[in-house]
Amino acid sequence: MQLNPSEISDLIKKKIENFDLSAESHTEGTVVSVTDGIVRIHGLSQAMQGEMLEFPGNAFGMALNLERDSVGAVVLGAYQHISEGDTVKCTGKILEVPIGRALLGRVVDALGNPIDGKGAIATTETAPIEKIAPGVIARQSVDQPVQTGLKSIDAMIPIGRGQRELIIGDRQTGKTAIAIDAIINQKGTGIKCIYVAIGQKRSSIANVVRKLEEHGAMDHTIVVVASASESAALQFIAPYTGCSMGEYFRDCGEDALIIYDDLTKQAWAYRQVSLLLRRPPGREAYPGDVFYLHSRLLERASRINAAEVEKLTGGKVKGKTGSLTALPIIETQGGDVSAFVPTNVISITDGQIFLESNLFNSGIRPAVNAGLSVSRVGGAAQTKIIKKLGGGTRLDLAQYRELAAFAQFASDLDESTRKQIERGQRVTELMKQNQYSPMSVAQMAVSLFAANEGFLDAVEVNKVLAFEASLLSYMKSEHAALMDTINTTGDFSDDIKQGMKTAIESFVKTHSW
Amino acid sequence: MSELATLARPYASAVFKRAKETASAAKWSENLAFMSAVIGSKEISVLVDNPKVKKDKLTELLLDVSKGQIDNEGVNFLQLLLQNNRLALLPDIARLFEEQKAEDEGYIAVEVLTAFDFTKESQQKFAATLEKTLSKRVHMNVTLDKSLIGGVLVRAGDRVIDGSVRGQLQNLQKALL
Repeated sequence: MQLNPSEISDLIKKKIENFDLSAESHTEGTVVSVTDGIVRIHGLSQAMQGEMLEFPGNAFGMALNLERDSVGAVVLGAYQHISEGDTVKCTGKILEVPIGRALLGRVVDALGNPIDGKGAIATTETAPIEKIAPGVIARQSVDQPVQTGLKSIDAMIPIGRGQRELIIGDRQTGKTAIAIDAIINQKGTGIKCIYVAIGQKRSSIANVVRKLEEHGAMDHTIVVVASASESAALQFIAPYTGCSMGEYFRDCGEDALIIYDDLTKQAWAYRQVSLLLRRPPGREAYPGDVFYLHSRLLERASRINAAEVEKLTGGKVKGKTGSLTALPIIETQGGDVSAFVPTNVISITDGQIFLESNLFNSGIRPAVNAGLSVSRVGGAAQTKIIKKLGGGTRLDLAQYRELAAFAQFASDLDESTRKQIERGQRVTELMKQNQYSPMSVAQMAVSLFAANEGFLDAVEVNKVLAFEASLLSYMKSEHAALMDTINTTGDFSDDIKQGMKTAIESFVKTHSW
Repeated sequence: MSELATLARPYASAVFKRAKETASAAKWSENLAFMSAVIGSKEISVLVDNPKVKKDKLTELLLDVSKGQIDNEGVNFLQLLLQNNRLALLPDIARLFEEQKAEDEGYIAVEVLTAFDFTKESQQKFAATLEKTLSKRVHMNVTLDKSLIGGVLVRAGDRVIDGSVRGQLQNLQKALL
């Protein structure tokens, strides 16, 4: 951005013109101690919980502990220049971050400052990072789907708009990959995405941003970053920042999807802050309010009804519901879901996608464990055709799992058992999907239909994916009209059923794979 | 600092209650001011923290020093603090006592920094305005501070009213950067 000198002096002139000269009244305190980003302040008897405090050197902090004679605060950012005896001012404001449409396509830090080198963000609106979730009256039930573009998830663990679905698994099981695929698949759907990276390496964040850019997904995405090198306080507030940005779209009657990657690290950051504030440690040394930490965050992901949207927009948007869907990510240690934070978040969310490292290592990617993964509300939101066809898949896999272990020892099996095992093997194979290649509803429907109708039974197990690929390209070239109808209506009528059946039959007769 | 205040508070409120009962707040105020000055002095503070100095020796010394300066109840209070090893709290106790006294009497101690000396007339006018804004009687303590460049800066407890040129320049700097 180039500015010529006269513009600069105009800007300065304007600022001086508008400068408020009245005497300023504020509350002041003195720094008593600074320890690892935690500051104890004497005075400030009027400070509010969560209030922004101003330190010398343009540093800001957040009041967290209000005690009789002192206030405990965390410094947001660098704290090395703050020393004992410095004065601290109350700002009278709860911590706020910029919100709005101008943030789309940008990478910001936990306070909403741009860190992608693309200049200032043109937004005037701000919102407090901590807000109360919408009440019961304002809500509407979940009945529209969020398509992740992954067969195994959309068919078996559907996610609805406004749902909270946990992605849980050990390290290196493809948790982030699912989230990124879901963001990429929202291209053109109008769903805005927010990706909150907490405590990750800057290099992995840069990779994610690059992948999103490559797939044209940055245009509808905001990336909020609190990397591992940033202070624990910033890592702790980053999810709330992202949530406020997402709520803006929800409150405007639009749909948004937010990914918290990951909340385990946020809990660690909060534990650090709490222990340094000398709050008593509880289980696994987490403070007593670690459940509330996550529940108040995830409760803000919701679907709100048209009346509430109208109220919030001042009557500008009518007849539209808004939603914020949350996909929190939790990393487990050695598959232990009964640790403190995983159990908490499992109980808060409306279901979980459980990823397993042994599935991942045996080549089943996404490594979704279909038995342990559930979606408690997504069924109501699922597209009709996928619901109809996906039901069979779940059943096939469940029966297969039951028989698979037992079949290892049996030399000769009866006909029906053998058939079930073979079907299971093929369905398991069919659920594999490459990263960054989300599928449309029609593509999923055709694949699932082929499996349900037994077309796969004649295909060798290791050829299933090749079969699927050439079937889909055949459908795309020869039956584009049928695919379009499925994509637009999402119905499973007799016409569509018959159309798919004849199409696949002719494919099987005429093609090789 | 804040921890000391927590320890000092029960002592301060006990002293204040006793002072109210016997209507001797002014005397107690003197007592506490004297005792904290003694404890604050270099020579004595070394002895207070020194484990080699026996308690009875210290008691004797302190009582000798304060003979004639504090009344009987003051002596008792000093002995109580010695017994409980809380001599170091005296400055905080004195401060909290003064705060409670001020609140009870409905006035507030205000520190006023000004760039130029007040005339008697303007000082009275200023005090009247302050009493109105703070809705309390004020005890002003005016200090001259040239570094303000112009205007006044008022400190009443935690509250700061900054009407100085220095403060405005600082705000302008913040607005421009």
